[in-house]
Amino acid sequence: MNRRVGLIAVALASLVVILYLVLRSGGGGGGEAVAPGVLPTPTPAPEQKVMLLFLGRDGLLHPELHMVSLPAETDERVRAVVHEILAGPTGPLLPVVPYEAQLLDVFIDADGHAFVDLSPPDHRLEGSNTELVLAYGIVDSILLNCPDLVGVQILFGGHEVPTLTGHLDLSAPLGLNKGLIAAS
Amino acid sequence: MRRAAHGDTVGRSFSDVGSTPTASTSFFMRRRDYCSRALLIATLLAPLPAAAQGGSVTFEFRGNAVSVPRVGTRVEVVPILKLLGAEAAYSPAAGTYGVQFGDHMIQFAPDQRHVLVDDQLEEVADAPVASPGGVAVSVEFLERVLLSPLGFHLENESEGYRIVEGARFPDVVGVRAAAADFGATTTLVITLSRVAKAEVREDSPGTAVVHFADATPQLDTTFPLRSRRVRAVTARKQDLDISLTDGVAVLSWHGLEAPSRIILEVGKRPPTPTPAPLLPQRRRAMPLVVIDPGHGGEDTGAESAVGMAEKDLTLAVAERLAKDLLARGYAVRLTRDGDQTRALTDRTALANRLDATVFVSLHANASRATSARGAETYYMSLDKASDEDAAAAARLENAAHGADSNGDSKLDLILWDMAQAEILNESARLALDVQQQLNTLLNLPDRGVKQAPFVVLKGATMPAVLVEVGFLSNAREAKQLADSGYQQRLAAAIASGIEGFLRSAP
Repeated sequence: MNRRVGLIAVALASLVVILYLVLRSGGGGGGEAVAPGVLPTPTPAPEQKVMLLFLGRDGLLHPELHMVSLPAETDERVRAVVHEILAGPTGPLLPVVPYEAQLLDVFIDADGHAFVDLSPPDHRLEGSNTELVLAYGIVDSILLNCPDLVGVQILFGGHEVPTLTGHLDLSAPLGLNKGLIAAS
Repeated sequence: MRRAAHGDTVGRSFSDVGSTPTASTSFFMRRRDYCSRALLIATLLAPLPAAAQGGSVTFEFRGNAVSVPRVGTRVEVVPILKLLGAEAAYSPAAGTYGVQFGDHMIQFAPDQRHVLVDDQLEEVADAPVASPGGVAVSVEFLERVLLSPLGFHLENESEGYRIVEGARFPDVVGVRAAAADFGATTTLVITLSRVAKAEVREDSPGTAVVHFADATPQLDTTFPLRSRRVRAVTARKQDLDISLTDGVAVLSWHGLEAPSRIILEVGKRPPTPTPAPLLPQRRRAMPLVVIDPGHGGEDTGAESAVGMAEKDLTLAVAERLAKDLLARGYAVRLTRDGDQTRALTDRTALANRLDATVFVSLHANASRATSARGAETYYMSLDKASDEDAAAAARLENAAHGADSNGDSKLDLILWDMAQAEILNESARLALDVQQQLNTLLNLPDRGVKQAPFVVLKGATMPAVLVEVGFLSNAREAKQLADSGYQQRLAAAIASGIEGFLRSAP
C-alpha cells in the first residue's frame, strides 16, 4: 500500500514538472509559432445602416441612414453613433451640434444610462430649438441604435450642466423623445 | 401628438396610451405571449404556399390579385400595398419607405429593425431588405407592421394569401390595476406594460369594459385591489372587465404616457340638474395666472439679426397678456416686471407659493434652421429617470415616516403618480388650447404641442406650459415679432387659450 502511494506521488510530481516546462516554453509545444511583433488582425465590426437624426429646415429632427461599423459592445456602439452625429449629415440636413465638438468620453451605468461627454461649446448658444435639437439629436440617435439603453445624459467638458441655453433640464438622463422627430 | 383629453366621455377611443422608450422598443421583442408567437410564426412563417415555391406568391384582395416575386423568405411588398389602395413611396433623402392609408402612416427602411407606425416607434425581429423591386419583407412583417395597423390580416389560400379585413393581434399587454378612493370618487389606474390602443365603455350598469383593439390583456393579480367603489378587475379575451359597486359608474377616463396607463374616475353619477331659479350668483375667487417672461437681466436669451433680445420680447408680450387677462376678469402676476435676473426655479416657486391656477412661461425660439417658423407650446415630460427619482423620493419619505414598505409606500406612490398624472393631463389640455388659438388667430404653421423636461416647468404644482411665440432666427418672423400690433395679437391668442382652458376646467 505504501509503495503504491509512493508511486502515485512520484507520478504526480513528474506531471507537475512536465506541465511547468511546457508552460514555460511557450505553452504550445507543437503549436503554431508566432513571429515576434506580429499581432493577429482584429476582426472588423460589421458595417450596418444606422438611423441618425439631423436638423431639417423646419427645425425638426429628420432621419438619415449611415453605413457604420457597429460593434457589439454598447459603449463602443454609443461612440460610433456619436462620432457619426458629430461628423454631420451627408445630405441636405444640418448638424445637430452647432459647434466643432469632440467626443471626450462615454460610459454606461448599471441602470442602462449612457453618459456622453462632449467638449464644451466655444461660443454662447441660444434658443430652445438649438438646445432641444442638440440634446435629442444625440439622445434619440443613441437610443434608436442601442436598444439596451434607457436614457442618455450629455456632459460638457466632464461636467454635468443644469441646462445649456436656459431651457432644457440636462441634469439627468433624457429618454427617447419622438415629438421632435418630423412625422414624415 | 394625439392624446385623450381629460373628461372624455366614456366610449371615446384613444390611440396613444403613452410611450416609453422601453415600451415602444420592446413592442415585438419582449413581454409577449410566446405561445401566441409560436402559433403565429407557425401560421405565417411556415413554408410559403406551393405557388410560392416557383418564385412568386399571389395576394388577393376584394377580387383583385397580384403576384409578387419572392426574395428569399421575403416577398416584394410595394405591389401588395398598391393592391390595398395604399400609397407607398420611397424617399431617397431619408432612405425610408412611407406608406399612407387613410389616417395611417408607416415608415420603414431596408436593413432597419425600427419602424414608425402611426408615430409610434416599434422594433421588429426581421428587417426589410432591399430587393430588385424596391423592398421585400417577411410575411410576418407584412401582417404585423403593415396590414394590422391598417385593419387587415392574411388568410392562407392554396395560391398564396387572401387579405381580409380585421386585424390579427396576438400580442399580450401586461396590465396592473390600482385604485384609490377619494371623497366622492375613486381613481382607477390601469398601467400597461407597453403602448396599446384601448377604449372604455359601459356594457351594463355596474360594469365597465376596457377594450384593447390590438392586444390581449394579461392581468397582474399579485397587486391587491382595495376600493369601496371598484369590486374587481378581470381579464377576458381583449377586454378588461371592471365590476363596480351599486350605483357607481365611470365618470371620465383618459390615457397617459410614460408609463402607458389608463385613468378612470368612477363614482355616483350626479342627478340630472333641474333648472335653478335665476338668483344672483356668488362671486367665485378669480383664477390666478402667473406669467413668466423668459430670461431677463444678464440672461438676454436669443437675439434676432437686427438685435432684438428675447428677454425684451417676452416681457413686452407678457405685459400685453397680463392686461388682456385682467380685462377678462382674471388675476395675474408676472415673475418679473422689468429687466431683472430670475433663477428658473424661483419662477416656478413663485407660482407654487401663490397657489396659481396656471403657469405660463413665454419664450422666443432660435434655430440654426433659419427657415423654421411658427409658435409651439410645450408641457413637461417625465422621463423614466425622473419617475425613478420621484419614486425614490417617495420611498425615502415613507421610510422617514416608518411606513410599511410593501403596503403604504405602494399606495403613496400611486397617489403621487395620480397627482403628477393629473397635472400633466391638465398641462396637456392647456397647451392644446393655447396652441390652437395661436394657430387659428395668427394663421401660423402648426408646430404642434410637444413635451420636454424644461427646467422652468419642473416642480410646478399646477397646469404649466412654455410657449415659444416664434423664431427670432427667422428674419421674416423676427420682424413680425418686433411689431407691437403682432405682439398684441400674440397676447390675445394666448389669453384666449388660457381662458378656454379655465372655462372648461372641471
